[in-house]
Amino acid sequence: MIEIKNVNFKYGGEEGPGDGVEDINLTIKTGEVVVLCGESGCGKTTISRMINGLIPHFYEGEFEGEVLIDDYNVSKHELCETAALVGSVFQNPKSQFFNVDTTGELTFGCENLGMSREEIGKRFAKTVTDMKLEALLNRNIFELSGGEKQQIACGSVYATEPQVFVMDEPSSNLDRKAIRRLSDILKKMKALGKTIVISEHRLYYLMDIADRFVYVKNGRIDREFTCEELRNIPEEELFALGLRSTAIENLKPRTENDYSEKTPSVEVIDLTCSRQNARIIDIDRIVLPKHSVVAVIGDNGCGKSTMAEALCGLIPSSGSVAFNGAYLNDKQRRKKCFMVMQDVNRQLFSDSCLEEVMLNATQDEEEAKKTLEKLGLLEYADRHPASLSGGQKQRTAIAAAVLADKDILFYDEPTSGLDRLGMERFGNILRDMKNDVAVSVIITHDPELITHCCTHVLHLERGRVIGFYPLDEEGVERIKGYFLSPSDDNTSKKRDKRSSVGKILGYAGKHKLSIFFAFLLMTIGAMASIVPYVGIGELIRRVIEAKSVTLDNSLTIVAGVVIAEVIYAIFYMLGLIVSHHAAYGTLENIRKTLQEKMEKLPLGFVMNKGSGEIKKLFTDDVESIEALLAHMIPEGLANLCVPVIALVILVAIDWKLALLTMLMVFIGISVSRQMYTVGMNKMGSYFAAGKRMNNAIVEYVNGMEVVRVFNRQKDSDYKYEKAVNEYRDYALEWYRVSWPWMALYKSVFANIVLYSLPFGALFVLLGQMSISNYILALMISFGTGPMLLHCMSFIGAVPQVSYKIEALESAMDSVPLKTMEEEFAGSDNTVEFRDVHFSYKDAEVIKGVSFTAAEGETTALVGMSGSGKSTLAKLLVHYYEISGGEITIGGQDIRSMSLDALNERISFVSQSVFLFNKTIMENIRMGRPDASDEEVIAAARLAECDDFIMELRDGYQTMAGSAGGALSGGQRQRISFARAILKDAPIIVFDEATAYVDAENEKKMKRAISEITRDKTVIVIAHKLKSIENADRIVVIDNGRIVGCGKNDELLGNCEEYRRLWNLNEATQDWQLKKEAQI
Amino acid sequence: MDFDICVDDSGAILKLDPRTKLVMFLTSSVASLTCYSMENLLIYGIVLCVITILCGKKWLGVKSLLIFLFLIFFRYEIVTSGKGSAAIGGLLTSLITIFLFFFPVFMSLMLITQTTRINQFLAAFDAMHMPNIVVIPIAVMFRFIPTVAQEWDGIRKAMAFRGISLEPWAIIRSPLKTIEYILIPLLFSSISIMEELAAAALARGLDSGNNRTSYETVKFRAVDYLVTFMFIGLAAFFIIGRKGL
Repeated sequence: MIEIKNVNFKYGGEEGPGDGVEDINLTIKTGEVVVLCGESGCGKTTISRMINGLIPHFYEGEFEGEVLIDDYNVSKHELCETAALVGSVFQNPKSQFFNVDTTGELTFGCENLGMSREEIGKRFAKTVTDMKLEALLNRNIFELSGGEKQQIACGSVYATEPQVFVMDEPSSNLDRKAIRRLSDILKKMKALGKTIVISEHRLYYLMDIADRFVYVKNGRIDREFTCEELRNIPEEELFALGLRSTAIENLKPRTENDYSEKTPSVEVIDLTCSRQNARIIDIDRIVLPKHSVVAVIGDNGCGKSTMAEALCGLIPSSGSVAFNGAYLNDKQRRKKCFMVMQDVNRQLFSDSCLEEVMLNATQDEEEAKKTLEKLGLLEYADRHPASLSGGQKQRTAIAAAVLADKDILFYDEPTSGLDRLGMERFGNILRDMKNDVAVSVIITHDPELITHCCTHVLHLERGRVIGFYPLDEEGVERIKGYFLSPSDDNTSKKRDKRSSVGKILGYAGKHKLSIFFAFLLMTIGAMASIVPYVGIGELIRRVIEAKSVTLDNSLTIVAGVVIAEVIYAIFYMLGLIVSHHAAYGTLENIRKTLQEKMEKLPLGFVMNKGSGEIKKLFTDDVESIEALLAHMIPEGLANLCVPVIALVILVAIDWKLALLTMLMVFIGISVSRQMYTVGMNKMGSYFAAGKRMNNAIVEYVNGMEVVRVFNRQKDSDYKYEKAVNEYRDYALEWYRVSWPWMALYKSVFANIVLYSLPFGALFVLLGQMSISNYILALMISFGTGPMLLHCMSFIGAVPQVSYKIEALESAMDSVPLKTMEEEFAGSDNTVEFRDVHFSYKDAEVIKGVSFTAAEGETTALVGMSGSGKSTLAKLLVHYYEISGGEITIGGQDIRSMSLDALNERISFVSQSVFLFNKTIMENIRMGRPDASDEEVIAAARLAECDDFIMELRDGYQTMAGSAGGALSGGQRQRISFARAILKDAPIIVFDEATAYVDAENEKKMKRAISEITRDKTVIVIAHKLKSIENADRIVVIDNGRIVGCGKNDELLGNCEEYRRLWNLNEATQDWQLKKEAQI
Repeated sequence: MDFDICVDDSGAILKLDPRTKLVMFLTSSVASLTCYSMENLLIYGIVLCVITILCGKKWLGVKSLLIFLFLIFFRYEIVTSGKGSAAIGGLLTSLITIFLFFFPVFMSLMLITQTTRINQFLAAFDAMHMPNIVVIPIAVMFRFIPTVAQEWDGIRKAMAFRGISLEPWAIIRSPLKTIEYILIPLLFSSISIMEELAAAALARGLDSGNNRTSYETVKFRAVDYLVTFMFIGLAAFFIIGRKGL
């Protein structure tokens, strides 16, 4: 039990946000969860500090009264004793950890309490499992995101197992997953009978945990609420109390927002950004409309801040960013952008507020004062920025940005730790300023802020954009869905820091040794290639030293030269053979891995990529790695090694000459490096333009028919031309910056001799060097020059190869489907959709669909085209990953099944039937590969295929490729029925399977269908309502929602949408009949 | 010079006690001050690099060893060739010599920071019965190196938005102004971090006197004795050798 008795406290000096608290009397029973709430600076943090003893031991001031935990007087005892009883979690994740590594931090508290090693080990293990921290172990805390840090902070307190937990705004830096996890942790602690005191602004996640809410105002305890009372307080009254929303569900869109503005302001294409070799951002395209306020949401560590920094041009990235139609480079972007950082202390540089905003203002002081007034800062104009409160500092930074004429403003979690008033004030500022700047981008985890002032939402996941939508009614629903969706898996992964070359070498496996061997062989070869030069040098020396050169005494040298040449040729060639073996072996491994990964990807994702791109990936991109493995690594390294050895020899011959040569090579390398980075910067745009051109060409070719029919050549040509021109410009731009570099390295490295020649001559003249050494040095330079040149030409190719490797890497690390290896374990074959949500790119296609398709019944899904009924079927067979809810078969979630197990349960008969270029027999056998010929034929009979197959030239042995043209749509359909009959899966999905039915086929088709569907769970997606009017259940879908469900007659009575569909159907049938009658 | 702080030492073949590393650091300092013979230095440097490699820092060890060997070779060539301008030769030799003699100190320091986790450090200090008043500041120092780096990174970004240039020319033109722009935000944010950190550490019982335990196992094993004796022996040999001069 915690008792705070008659406590008064006044801060001495300038500690804490408020002045202190008066007359606090509070009793908290053991096992109770109490939330302290109230406006910023009301004194709730002060109360929490009294419980953990920081007041009066750390924050000094006038303290009266006493704080008791049971019989233990907190204010009298030392802090270190209190630490065993009270565990504290603080607001700022940055400044509450003491260690650099996570493991050390988790054990830190226990160590301080003097526990034995075994005990610490036990608690450490328990903490890690209880709080799901496995992914965070053995990591550098400085590399973690704020939410991850906060998890570690909670964990390290949890490990000490105190009686009382005191938390000071623990959620202020957390994303929704982390908040949910925090709330789970709190529940667990509560269940263990711990007493928890939380001082907090965000209330919604505490509503079903807290026992009491203590409302603090102006340093006094003002009121107390129970959960129920607080929940029933209307939004307006909450606002008056300065409290945040108690439920996300209550958030409403602001009706006055205007979404009509469609003019693109910022356009981002192919933005990628890597940090320490790990790709963090991979964005195809985003367009931000003018005067929009865009909320960037996504879980911690998904790349939100990195994206903002890349857009600002702060960190290197590739791709193109256009503002008002003009492409900007990093430097120009820095001029246009401004970011209000989360830690605003870092960006205040001047002595006074006014000076601060005038620092690089384009307007005069009058204007500055006006802006300050608008932001409520005028009275602080002369104050030192450091003396302002957090919110005031933030506004100072905003004022500085506006006055410096910045067009794009970024805010990094601006409302973390703000109370209601602060959040709304900030939101209002954003709304007011909306038209002064082109685009505002807010990175936030605060759903209240988003609904308060944002116009659009950009949703990131794993560095990719998974949705960009306006914040209208529907958008608000999606936002709520996002913040409310349960998810407890810890996605934080240790980033793979290997360089792309390292990753590729990882695929080499056993071939790595071969590559090393090839390197050795080539090094020997390359060394041998210098020997002839040295031999010739020796001959020349003899001539110069006026010795007689006869065949006899020079024979050994000549022989040596010949042998060296032979060794060079043989070893180099052997090296190349070995390296090529290794390279193609590795390519094989990579292609296999690619294929394995591809199989685990959502089928929808693979289809969207298009066969062209996948083909390019498997052939061209993979092939480009051959150059790296077969040439660059072994050959390049060998060619680099030998000059280094030569340099060492050169030092032995004459260190001065060696020093000069080193100096020249060093200058050469640093210049080329400079050029290399410049070239690299342009590389991204060049490749992006290439990709755009490819897309334009594909579109041009695909759309040719439509274009010609509707006579739209002009538009299409224009688009095509633009893409081609752009490609030309970027390519030329790239070459333009790369040319001088190429020219330079060629001249620098080809002619190392040029430097050694004059200097060496000088040394000889000065008598510093013997002529024989001079000749030797010259010859070595001659020998190594070509190698360096060779080496540099490889370096020139590195950007291209590494770009392709990156493309490969990014394709390989797409999110795979969530499947587990479980077998089917459901009770029966009833299919149930439970509140299923699915978003495809920017649009939410399925919005909370729930229905059951019982075993032995036929369930029909009907609706207009594009209503989402086909998507539902595809979700059932796990072509795509659902974004919310669950789909179960006999009570088992399909995500827990392996794809094989799922496929065994379901036959999917779709409207488009693909026949492989095999015999008809084999094509039917696809349904069940171990079926005998007789079984296949029996299935074909049941599917009414037998007749027409026998009419084919070779019967069942006809190749489907050649017969393909001869088969009608209905016939192909029936082949697919035969497959399904053969497979005999308990669940059957017909996706518009009767699309090709004509009068002649219809009867046969019906018979076939009834054959397949006997005693099965049948889901039919149909356009023709006539064909499903006898279904056991008809589910009417409109715009991703269920609008009616029942039997035909009921629906005709009570479902308007169904009636409309029915009438439409009737009308088309009439139309067909009339047409036939006319004929 | 790279003083990255270690968080994961699982890649090491040879796991030395932090105390051994401290001994290595001490003997390296002694060696730097007393070793007057290149041969001795050569042996010392090679041993040090090999231990670095064994401790899991392969690239660092190999790179340092190559540079070290090359410089010794280069110096040898200059000294023995006896040709060339005496001024340049002398200058180069002395520069290289200074570097070579400091090499053991640098190397052992990098070995300490890059292969020891802070917790191991604290545990080792505890095992040596060091008072908290010595241990805690050292721990805080380690904690603060990356903090300052992070703050500096943020400030640099903020400066880019404000058009405050960090180009050499701008710094030369107004050095005081630049220092002010760097120091003010750095100090203010460091102060606030420091204070919150102190509060957090105290609330978690850091000042609990001398009964702090450690989860880390630090134990002087056979290898540690071997390495310690080897380095002390080397240092002793250098000192005796010097007396003999």
